[in-house]
Amino acid sequence: MAEYNAIKIVKGSGGFGGPLVVKPEEGKDKLVYITGGGAKPDIVDKIVELTGCEAVNGFKTSVPEKEIFLVIIDCGGTLRCGIYPQKRIPTINVMPVGKSGPLAKHITEDIYVSAVGVNQISDANGEPVNAAAPGSTVLGSVSESKTVESTPASTEEKKDERQFKYSADKKVSQTMAEGNKGGIVTKIGMAAGKVINTFNQAARDAVQTMITSIIPFMGFVSLLIGLIQGSGFGDWFAKLLIPLAGTGIGLVILGFICSIPFLSVLLGPGAVMAQVIGTLIGVEIGKGNINPNLALPALFAINTQCACDFVPVGLGLAEAEPETVEVGVPAVLYSRFLTGVPRVLVGWLASVGMYV
Amino acid sequence: MDYVIKFAEGFMNLFNTGASTFIGWMSGIVPVVLMLLIAMNTLINLIGEERINKLAKASTKNPLLRYMILPYLGAFMLGNPTALSLGRFMPERLKPSYYASASYFCHTSSGVFPHINPGEVFIFLGIAEGISTLGLSTMPLAMRYMFVGLVMNFVSGWATDFTTKFVMKQQGIELSNELKM
Repeated sequence: MAEYNAIKIVKGSGGFGGPLVVKPEEGKDKLVYITGGGAKPDIVDKIVELTGCEAVNGFKTSVPEKEIFLVIIDCGGTLRCGIYPQKRIPTINVMPVGKSGPLAKHITEDIYVSAVGVNQISDANGEPVNAAAPGSTVLGSVSESKTVESTPASTEEKKDERQFKYSADKKVSQTMAEGNKGGIVTKIGMAAGKVINTFNQAARDAVQTMITSIIPFMGFVSLLIGLIQGSGFGDWFAKLLIPLAGTGIGLVILGFICSIPFLSVLLGPGAVMAQVIGTLIGVEIGKGNINPNLALPALFAINTQCACDFVPVGLGLAEAEPETVEVGVPAVLYSRFLTGVPRVLVGWLASVGMYV
Repeated sequence: MDYVIKFAEGFMNLFNTGASTFIGWMSGIVPVVLMLLIAMNTLINLIGEERINKLAKASTKNPLLRYMILPYLGAFMLGNPTALSLGRFMPERLKPSYYASASYFCHTSSGVFPHINPGEVFIFLGIAEGISTLGLSTMPLAMRYMFVGLVMNFVSGWATDFTTKFVMKQQGIELSNELKM
């Protein structure tokens, strides 16, 4: 009987899902890879080495589902990436693909991980198995206790497994050995596939960003502009704004106001204020009421409060200690205040000769 | 009756003005920004976050690197707000300064590279709209915005080094200057 070890798989750069901790079991020890043209991804060897499982090329041989403990695919986000998650079989996608395709709703963090390379796979170090195929949930929990017993597997046994795996490969198909690492043609094909898939995923992400953040904002601001201009409020507001935004000195004052600590925190959220004022200034520039050269200092003036409301979160992203946040919030507010006006002034200076 | 019709026309005019602004943006801004977003997302995925992390570790020593080059590249490669997470490679005392600089970079470069901060790009686009209405190119504005930003964001990060020291004294908290990994 072969010894099995658990492995941990995390998502790679641009990936989604995970981390998964999986472990093969007796009678459920097949690693199936269904990847472009049957070429074997590098991670297959690594997983076999770490877990002691048996690798099977899904294009050459079919394996009963109940024997599969892990599936590796290279799906660009059409259908295959959803099939195995739907069956609740832990799935690794070599491509950086998130929830997509017709089965997107089945692709969840607890069963799927993408953009996986050799560096994303490691020994589980006794972490409990968190992904298991259906019907084996009980087995999965049993294996947790097993993990502890079986972790110190002797190297001799490991050698045994490798031997075992090798002969199994031969049995599957003689020709597979040639197709294994693939010829140049396969390699070029795989590389091209990866680039194209990256583009495709990038497009998907970009459209998502468009729909979730840019277009709604355009709608909101357009309505606002319509209301302001159509109602005549715009002319009234412009009279208020032009003295402030229409001269360099006015912009310096605007920048100063925005940078005042406490006020800067209130003006920050979502940069909505800055974006609305920016749009209004844009309208006035378009009408010829404001000199286009002032666009540059205006960009700095309306945004001297930039990210003041976001300091604790931003420092949290940088894994800062609580004391650092304590000090960091006032420190950033003060520095915004100190540098706000100089930014507008330098912007003003740099705008000389921009549009003649 | 005339009065009612006038009122109704005026009322609809509010939305028609908004609608024509919206469709102008949809046909003018959306396609270009979308293409840029796709290209940049691809480039970034191909280069990978790991390499940026390596660069971040290497650039903590020098103020010019850590408040100018690193946040500039970080914003370009990772965008808002992920660029801010590169601050984790700084010692605690410098984290606020990196934040001050990097958060500005998420705006000043967004004129040339709108993918950096798509949610807040209207700060630039709003003003730039006026320039396009006049029939001028917005690129000179975008470039100058970026270059002035490059200098002034550095000043901002550097100034925060001093305000951090000041606040530390004020609050009696001493932040570590050592980098712990």
